[in-house]
Amino acid sequence: MKSPDICRSSWKQDGEPISCSSPDLFKLQLRNQQPKTKYMLGKGGKRKFDEHEDGLEGKVVSPTDGPSKVSYTLQRQTIFNISLMKLYNHRPLTEPSLQKTVLINNMLRRIQEELKQEGSLRPVFVTASQPADPLSDNFREAQPAFSHLASPSLLPTDLVSTTPLESCLTPASLLEDDTFCTSPTVQHDGPTKLPPPALQPVKDSFSSALDEIEELCPAPTSAEAVAVAAESAAGDSKAHPCESSVPKPEGVAESRTAESKLMEPLPGNFEITTSTGFLTDLTLDDILFADIDTSMYDFDPCTSAAGAASKMAPVSADELLKTLAPYSSQPVTPNQPFKMDLTELDHIMEVLVGS
Amino acid sequence: MKIHRRIGALRKMKCFPCQFSNTVKSTQFNTSALMSVFEQADIISTVEFNHSGELLATGDKGGRVVIFQQEQENKTQSHSRGEYNVYSTFQSHEPEFDYLKSLEIEEKINKIRWLPQKNAAQFLLSTNDKTIKLWKISERDKRPEGYNLKEEDGRYRDPTTVTTLRVPVFRPMDLMVEASPRRIFANAHTYHINSISINSDYETYLSADDLRINLWHLEITDRSFNIVDIKPANMEELTEVITAAEFHPNSCNTFVYSSSKGTIRLCDMRASALCDRHSKLFEEPEDPSNRSFFSEIISSISDVKFSHSGRYMMTRDYLSVKIWDLNMENRPVETYQVHEYLRSKLCSLYENDCIFDKFECCWNGSDSIVMTGSYNNFFRMFDRNTKRDITLEASRENNKPRTVLKPRKVCASGKRKKDEISVDSLDFNKKILHTAWHPKENIIAVATTNNLYIFQDKMN
Repeated sequence: MKSPDICRSSWKQDGEPISCSSPDLFKLQLRNQQPKTKYMLGKGGKRKFDEHEDGLEGKVVSPTDGPSKVSYTLQRQTIFNISLMKLYNHRPLTEPSLQKTVLINNMLRRIQEELKQEGSLRPVFVTASQPADPLSDNFREAQPAFSHLASPSLLPTDLVSTTPLESCLTPASLLEDDTFCTSPTVQHDGPTKLPPPALQPVKDSFSSALDEIEELCPAPTSAEAVAVAAESAAGDSKAHPCESSVPKPEGVAESRTAESKLMEPLPGNFEITTSTGFLTDLTLDDILFADIDTSMYDFDPCTSAAGAASKMAPVSADELLKTLAPYSSQPVTPNQPFKMDLTELDHIMEVLVGS
Repeated sequence: MKIHRRIGALRKMKCFPCQFSNTVKSTQFNTSALMSVFEQADIISTVEFNHSGELLATGDKGGRVVIFQQEQENKTQSHSRGEYNVYSTFQSHEPEFDYLKSLEIEEKINKIRWLPQKNAAQFLLSTNDKTIKLWKISERDKRPEGYNLKEEDGRYRDPTTVTTLRVPVFRPMDLMVEASPRRIFANAHTYHINSISINSDYETYLSADDLRINLWHLEITDRSFNIVDIKPANMEELTEVITAAEFHPNSCNTFVYSSSKGTIRLCDMRASALCDRHSKLFEEPEDPSNRSFFSEIISSISDVKFSHSGRYMMTRDYLSVKIWDLNMENRPVETYQVHEYLRSKLCSLYENDCIFDKFECCWNGSDSIVMTGSYNNFFRMFDRNTKRDITLEASRENNKPRTVLKPRKVCASGKRKKDEISVDSLDFNKKILHTAWHPKENIIAVATTNNLYIFQDKMN
């Protein structure tokens, strides 16, 4: 088989998986990981989150159900991460399958739409430092975009018992272990509830600033933003386990802003990337993942956003401009001049940190 | 005896003896076995019987085509039909390199389609991602002997030594099977070819890639007509691709193509030159209770096949097989669940890419039974009349000669009964994507990763 990162798992009679999943996915998950979560193989032990959660597999839960809403969001985020991994980690010798690319793109777009709709339903600014209760109220109000779809009945499969397969959900299982077990201030479902409320107001100011950052250069605007998005996606999955080391709400909010960065720039720029993917099979891997910049996710308000952005921009811009210009058939029309207001960014960081 | 003849023939052909040695007939089974197993050097990527069923062609990932021929029925061994032996092996496609994109073009054979036999030779179309080739497979069992100017080994004789004249005569020789490419249809597809289908007029055929369908004439290689084009002006808006296409078996103006969104469009070429507007659109409304993140992906149709009668068509999506009446567009007339127990595992299957596996399906000769593959080397048959279904396994271990295949069962949840297999112990590396049914008899060909199994039902 040519594709090296396709995961083929087979399970022995006793349910213990033999082979492991995509190595790239694995790598990103394993950084800063505790040894016990190194294997996505379930040893058969029940995790305590299983008591509350109905399962992550393929089930859309009713939005009125508090803890299940969390699992829905979790699953959605997991699938989002997996989809991005698939798109950006693939280094085929031959052209990647267009059908697969289109299906993964559709999945990502759908999740994005949902997140956008969820974001737009929450008008109240909620700081990260607020306790979980009002957050959970806001949370319940926000009906997911999928609400027009009836939630499917729980499948007869005993999902808790199918631990090996659940444990194959590497990002999700890691999320459970770290996010929910180590956060001191909230319940297991707390931290996940934080992001959506925190997302919305933060998104507005931050993303507009980010848009300005994106308008660094005409052609690579999209690519750079994609670089940001992809890196933040890569870092996002990294950020989740990182939360265990910074169990503060601020820290959580910070990593969630990485997620928010993911949302806004993704729609437009993502398309361009995929279109170049369709048309030219240009892999941005070398540029995007050559050096994953983790400074974005340092919880240091002074250096994170401004420093990282300015550091990233010139690097990506030139390279991408050179590589994309000859290939892209998209008429890239750069009109907006680059303006980066550092003071505005500082202001945003202060707001985020709450200081 | 017969095998020796085949080996001698193959040496003359442009093929690789080492590959043939891998295609070894299983010697465990005697000639009246109910099962034949052939191991191929590479992953099998397509399986197709010809119109009479006498020949069975397989294509593999290495660009090779291996053809099996059914033995003529032996009168003394009336309890089984003829067995299949290797008839011909040839290299159909070679790997290429696209210099513009710096990517390889795989030599993997995506599809093989036989032409109906018009003379002594057999013709088939084979295609990889970019190029379609028409191959002529012919037998030679006589050769001329007694030339005047040439020796038997081909050297020219000194004309001064020729004292008498004779007429060359044909003498029998060992059977030789030759495959030669007669037409090469290239450079018409920007995207990967997923289907070819020969029209019932036996003069034209269509080839479909992800976004376009082209119509060819078998005699003309430098031109083709584009009859379907779903490429959007702005590639950013691309959300749907073509996954399979087929001509109607009787109406030479009708064809269907399926999409990644679970729709099938029937087009009539008489309506317009570019069949972008369908004549019929077959789509089943989604079941809201089964909605999940993966609904779109599992609705993507991986194969579409008309019934032999032409009245029905069958589609295969990830979890089910659906039979459509061409006269009814809003829903299929029959739906068969292939492996519903996988519905709760979709997230894992998405992660390990198994959800993108393209299973094929096939009809039996009388359109009463449909067959498709699954994981763990299981394949399933559904009887449309009795509504019964059966799961069988293609593996060497469990089958001795003359043993009837034992039905298998997958246990989705709860207590596992004896002989049942639990979902968690399924091997997702062992998948049966390609199956074929003899057009007239109850003989089936089932391709696992490297092995081709030929089963026949027990004759009484």
